[in-house]
Amino acid sequence: MKKIMCSRCLLLIITGLVLLLTTACSSKESNTAAKEEKNEQEKKVTMIFSFKSANLDPHTGFTPIRTGITETLLKLDENSTIEGWLAESWETADNVTWNFTLRDDVTFQDGAKFDAAAAKASLERSIAANESLGGSLKIKEMQADGQELTITTTEPYPALPSELVNPYTSIVNVAAEKEIGEEGFRNAPVGTGPFKVKSFTPNQEVQVEKNTNYWAGEPKIDSAIIKFNEDANVRAMALQSKEADIVYNLPAEGLGAIEKDKELIVNSVPGLRAHFFLYNQQSSNVSDIKVREAINLLIDRKSMADDIMLGHAVAANGPFNSNLPFGISDEVEELDVDKAKTLLNEAGYVENSSGKMEKDGKPLKLELITYKARPELPLIAQLFQSDAAKAGVQVEIKNVENADTHLVENKDWDLATYSNNTSPRGDGSYFLNTAFTETGALNVGKINIPELNELINTLNTTSDMEKRTELTKEAAHVINKERAHSYAVYPNILVGVHSRIQDWEPAAEEYYILTHTMDVK
Amino acid sequence: MLAVVKKRLVQLVIVVFLLSIFTFGLMKLAPGDPVLTILNADEMMVTEADQAKLREELGFNQPFYVQYGKWMLGVVQLDLGKSYMTGKPVWDEMMQRLPITLQLAAGGLLVMIGISVPLGLISARFPGKWPDQISRILALVGASIPSFWLALMLIYLFAFKLQILPSSGVGSFSQSILPSFALGFSLASVYARLLRAGLLASYSEDYIRAARARGVREWRILWFHAFRAALLPVITVFGLSLGSLLGGAVVVEILFSWPGLGSMAVDAIFSRDYPVIQGYILLTGVFVVTVNLLVDLSYYLIDPRIKEGRGEAA
Repeated sequence: MKKIMCSRCLLLIITGLVLLLTTACSSKESNTAAKEEKNEQEKKVTMIFSFKSANLDPHTGFTPIRTGITETLLKLDENSTIEGWLAESWETADNVTWNFTLRDDVTFQDGAKFDAAAAKASLERSIAANESLGGSLKIKEMQADGQELTITTTEPYPALPSELVNPYTSIVNVAAEKEIGEEGFRNAPVGTGPFKVKSFTPNQEVQVEKNTNYWAGEPKIDSAIIKFNEDANVRAMALQSKEADIVYNLPAEGLGAIEKDKELIVNSVPGLRAHFFLYNQQSSNVSDIKVREAINLLIDRKSMADDIMLGHAVAANGPFNSNLPFGISDEVEELDVDKAKTLLNEAGYVENSSGKMEKDGKPLKLELITYKARPELPLIAQLFQSDAAKAGVQVEIKNVENADTHLVENKDWDLATYSNNTSPRGDGSYFLNTAFTETGALNVGKINIPELNELINTLNTTSDMEKRTELTKEAAHVINKERAHSYAVYPNILVGVHSRIQDWEPAAEEYYILTHTMDVK
Repeated sequence: MLAVVKKRLVQLVIVVFLLSIFTFGLMKLAPGDPVLTILNADEMMVTEADQAKLREELGFNQPFYVQYGKWMLGVVQLDLGKSYMTGKPVWDEMMQRLPITLQLAAGGLLVMIGISVPLGLISARFPGKWPDQISRILALVGASIPSFWLALMLIYLFAFKLQILPSSGVGSFSQSILPSFALGFSLASVYARLLRAGLLASYSEDYIRAARARGVREWRILWFHAFRAALLPVITVFGLSLGSLLGGAVVVEILFSWPGLGSMAVDAIFSRDYPVIQGYILLTGVFVVTVNLLVDLSYYLIDPRIKEGRGEAA
């Protein structure tokens, strides 16, 4: 009898566990059913971003602009050219005093009027909240008069419009922050965008609902839920299971399965980033331009785009993607081992009996730094290593954890694979200033080319957009001529979209994701 | 018992102090600082002067002992500092994430108990027979599957193929099922074997033979007599597991997008957010030492011989 009872106990435990699971499953099913019924009345979109957000402060993170909560004075159009957004027009006579005429038909999500005083308060908040924004805006003072905002910069600063595209300069209603408190505002900022915050769970998800008073027209969808998940495989599966309508940064190797599903579309959009090779100008191995030219010819850009990036990248011909207004149209250099050997010979290297290039009895041995944070970079390094060997150049790959620090603190490296967003705000001046000038934080190879410095200086004082484009292109040509860097590929952004999403396409800048024109079937 | 508690509290302070000095030193030895990340150099125009200024503001130019001293001074005043990345107090940051990690750990433990106890009991009841063989195979499988792979397979099966459970997120019961399984399954296999070994060991004790002679049923002997004795080694390992649960849940947290302590620590390490890393280490250090103290105290309840001073806690 007792034996039977104890067996029953065990049976009970197991049945209990199974029941627990099945009820969980069925409750989920009924939940989903209820949700579906609601969905029929409500137009709802679910997205998954790979970049998470600890708060929704628009002045320290991009999520508010991406989710349509906030807007900036100026924005980028589909060709990455700067256009007005909350500002209708802008002008400057001397590159120091800037007059912005702001839209008169805009209200904040709480009903407050958007005017120059509100914009001024918001910009002041952004500079206080963001460590590096003060330096990039160079604002001396601001004056507000109705819808007219006058900004005076500390020095002639033609790049100001480009810097006002920066999502960190999002316009919020600072008066609302005083009412709901700093913490509350960080979790639910009040902007001018087509969507307002419904709920926010840090690092997990944000739910937004439409702002029916949106100035550019009522948003077509009612609400959206934006989740954050850092694992690419999980994001891909969520798209395949139709749990998400839009998924950012899909893993290239999992695209086959997604493309088979007729309901899903994969958008491979050229991004604003470039993967490239840095040269250490202090290293005697690569200080000779002939050697850098030879190395440049040993980079198989086509194979890097096709085999490493699985076709989701474009071979690079300069610092800026050729799709951009200031991108150059030079031909992409192809792998040419023979020509590389000739160039090395010209630099004084000769092939020894074992096929290695050497000078004064010393073989050409390069130390190449790479890092895993962008998994394709070590692969690019390996491909280069094998092609360089064909020309008798030995490459030693060193994988470091923190490339930025390693490159600054060590002098003995020759090359490094690197990746940078080369035109985050529709202008090349950010990259040219940080990567090539003497004081630039990303100039780890200590590049100092007088011709380039002069061009950058001129660019920094030129406001005419056409002239700026020309100067940026010229700078790109000098960079290529001097082989200051060797550009490998421009990686694409991979976005998975369910076919029920209408009137929406992902763009290169990754700023304006949830828009008022987005619709669902 | 009070003496043990006192002794352990002193130990706690020493362990946590040594831990903090050790990790603080290691972090300072590791290359990199958070300055470029704070200044967002990948997207913002930053000069070397900006970097130098921020470095000085954060006190990175000061000697190691000064930086450590300042931090420690804050800690004794119960101030763990502010996160470089979010600007929020480290304590608030951790308290926001702790419940999420605890929820995950609790789910994992439930699954672990739910699987390991029946499996261990069956194995011990039929040693060498087919139920034991099956349990052995299950335990082997459980111990050899990496939790990230198991998690991905669970998501594939339940979220993608069957579509009955959500792939990620926190909050509802259904959202905690998959992560709990991913975390609990591998632990369960270890505990099932541990329990089996413990049960079989206590089988050889005289009081079990006596119970058998009295005609007590096998299941009853197993459940009511042997189980309690077999719990001792299980609880010892359990104390250690709890510590690793806090840190070991990292992969599961990242896969299922649970913003818990583990993923916070990983982010902090990558961005060299020293106050957060230090706060996390301090918290887990205190937690592990406290749990081990509780484990030791629980021996007194489970094994009366220890209470009577005839045995020594392991």
